[in-house]
Amino acid sequence: MRSLNEFNCNNWKSKFYFIFLLRSLSRYDQKTQLRGVNSMEGLVTQIQGLSGTDSDVLSLQNLLKQADDSLHAESTRLLPFLDQLDPAKHSLGYLYFLEAFTAGPVTNEHASSSVLMIARFISSCVAEQIRLAPDKFISVCKRFKDQVLLLEEPLRGVAPMLTAIRKLQSSSEHLTALHPEFLLLCLLSKCYKTGLSILEEDIFEVDQPRDLFLFCYYGGMISIGHKRFRKALELLHNVVTAPMPTINAIAVEAFKKYILVSLIHNGQFPTNLPKYASSVAQRNLKNLCQPYIELANSYSNGKIADLETYVEANKDKFESDNNLGLVKQAVSSMYKRNIQRLTQTYLTLSLQDIANRVQLNSPKEAEMHVLQMIKDGEIYATINQKDGMVRFLEDPEQYKTCEMIERIDSSIQRLMTVSKKLNVMDELMSCDPLYLAKAGRERQRFDFDDFDNVPQRYNI
Amino acid sequence: MASSSSSGLTFKLHPLVIVNISDHYTRVKSQMNSHPLTSTSTTVNGVEHQQQAPRVYGCVIGIQSGRTVEIFNSFELLYDPSTNSLDRTFLEKKQELYKKVFPHFYILGCPLYVLLNPTINPAQKDLPVTIYESELHIIDGIPQLIFVRSSYTIETVEAERISVDHVAHLKPSDGGSAATQLAAHLTSIHSAIKMLNSRIRVLHHYLVGMQKGDIPCENSLLRQVSSLLRRLPAIESEKFQDDFLMEYNDTLLISYLAMFTNCSSTMNELVDKFNTAYDRHSRRGGRTAFI
Repeated sequence: MRSLNEFNCNNWKSKFYFIFLLRSLSRYDQKTQLRGVNSMEGLVTQIQGLSGTDSDVLSLQNLLKQADDSLHAESTRLLPFLDQLDPAKHSLGYLYFLEAFTAGPVTNEHASSSVLMIARFISSCVAEQIRLAPDKFISVCKRFKDQVLLLEEPLRGVAPMLTAIRKLQSSSEHLTALHPEFLLLCLLSKCYKTGLSILEEDIFEVDQPRDLFLFCYYGGMISIGHKRFRKALELLHNVVTAPMPTINAIAVEAFKKYILVSLIHNGQFPTNLPKYASSVAQRNLKNLCQPYIELANSYSNGKIADLETYVEANKDKFESDNNLGLVKQAVSSMYKRNIQRLTQTYLTLSLQDIANRVQLNSPKEAEMHVLQMIKDGEIYATINQKDGMVRFLEDPEQYKTCEMIERIDSSIQRLMTVSKKLNVMDELMSCDPLYLAKAGRERQRFDFDDFDNVPQRYNI
Repeated sequence: MASSSSSGLTFKLHPLVIVNISDHYTRVKSQMNSHPLTSTSTTVNGVEHQQQAPRVYGCVIGIQSGRTVEIFNSFELLYDPSTNSLDRTFLEKKQELYKKVFPHFYILGCPLYVLLNPTINPAQKDLPVTIYESELHIIDGIPQLIFVRSSYTIETVEAERISVDHVAHLKPSDGGSAATQLAAHLTSIHSAIKMLNSRIRVLHHYLVGMQKGDIPCENSLLRQVSSLLRRLPAIESEKFQDDFLMEYNDTLLISYLAMFTNCSSTMNELVDKFNTAYDRHSRRGGRTAFI
């Protein structure tokens, strides 16, 4: 307060001071602008010089980190410098420049050229160099995705994004932040097959939990699109049972689809989440997806008419979640369930009988359903067309072929690798200080007959 | 001592006795190795050992019903080398104790003598245990009690069999610790197959060398190899193939199941630990078994 009084009193002095400050600042600005361009050129030459060996690249990285702010300041004027650099040889330097260049807002006209530039960079860059600056690479690729979506051509982004993932991953078991972006592009461009290829890989390392949630959710949707319901169930299950300290929206949406897919694939929905699901999920998910739970309940009663009326009544809710298609598939899967139930009671049945029991309209429809199920391998039966009888058979697998041996053998091998990894994780967990603290506390309470001194706290 | 018994008594020996005796002997011997003492040797109504090795003594107890003598158990006796006699009070105390536990048994004393030879003779197939009984024989006109060797059978109860089996496998083997029978069996099969594999490899190497011309051709060896090969495969029929593959599949499925169970239990423990460590509202109060 006193200083302000002083300011008012010494008005003319402060004004003078202020003007002096402004002028010096403007001079400074001019100097920095000049220095900016000069430093850019200097930086470019340094990049060109230091991109040879690994040690050079590391020192280059330090230089680039220091110059990062000035790069961002000059973002609009970096284009000519980009042309001087070769993305294949000077990947790291190019990456820094590119990231600063794309940081600013991009218009539609620029988007197209920028997309081309980034795609070319991704395909020609060197993996080792860009792995030194993964965040920059990820942000460049994310902006690439945004621009591709802006242009409404998601298909253009699918292949480059896949290349980007392969270059960023340290191993095929590593889930990067680019995986969900890639799957999103596949979904939007309806390019499901490419997406499926990446879903087949087992994941053991995750950078961010949000990546895993999104990846599995999108992966589930892609698998549903390809009618691979078993894979979809597995992926959605991962989302729903992943550790989460608080409930998140991705898990809620995934849970809705999970209920529907499990009805389609298994014919039933397990009412309780397994014990490895987080307690947050176990308590809250069901409340947030009430209409779907009731759908599952009415499904389990086995009456198609009731199910259809329920669906009609709640059509809007399902539609707003974009799940109406899945719901309709679930309803039609009810027929399959009922036919499967028949195989457990009858050995032979006429098509008319099947139609009556399963509430189908005609024996022809029943025949179509049964044929489809035989083709999909869901039941084993033979249809005698002369008298319209269906005979239900046992699983013809005798387990005495060499192919079966190979299948079991490969499963055992996979199981052995998983078992080794689990043991490693188990050991890591046992040494985790958080775990030891809590375990020590519980143990102390219950060891009445154990008279040795149990430590109260593990002070680490 | 006479060659065979003619008294008509049948003897039944329980393996517990043998284990007891050998255990006592081993203990004494190892104790002797730690404190070097002169080896003693005396005879008693119990066990006798070779010269230079310590002799241990004990009593056998059992039941005699008619002509059948069944030796159930034995216990050690304290021997005093200075006075060359057994500790009487100890004997009486032990006898009383055993009487309480096994009221039917009584010391099979005078007519009986069990001998265990601790030196291991690998050629010998039978147990180095012999039973002698005392008989009245006329030798040189004087009636004398001498010990006569008699035959015996080993009889066990189920519980004994388990403990003896366990003891038999407790001795450390030179390779790994093949504690269970199955592991020992599989290890032996594995080593056999390894040996077979190395031999075949030697033959193969030799044949390749012969083919290349490095080694001069030896027809007799070639004939032997070809006759060996012609003996395989031993059985070639569809039924065999079927059964063989089915059994192979079954074994694979069982090991698959075992691996699955193993993996699931590890996963279960891991999940429990994870929930304890990181889940804020995990249920408390349940006593979980973790180590």
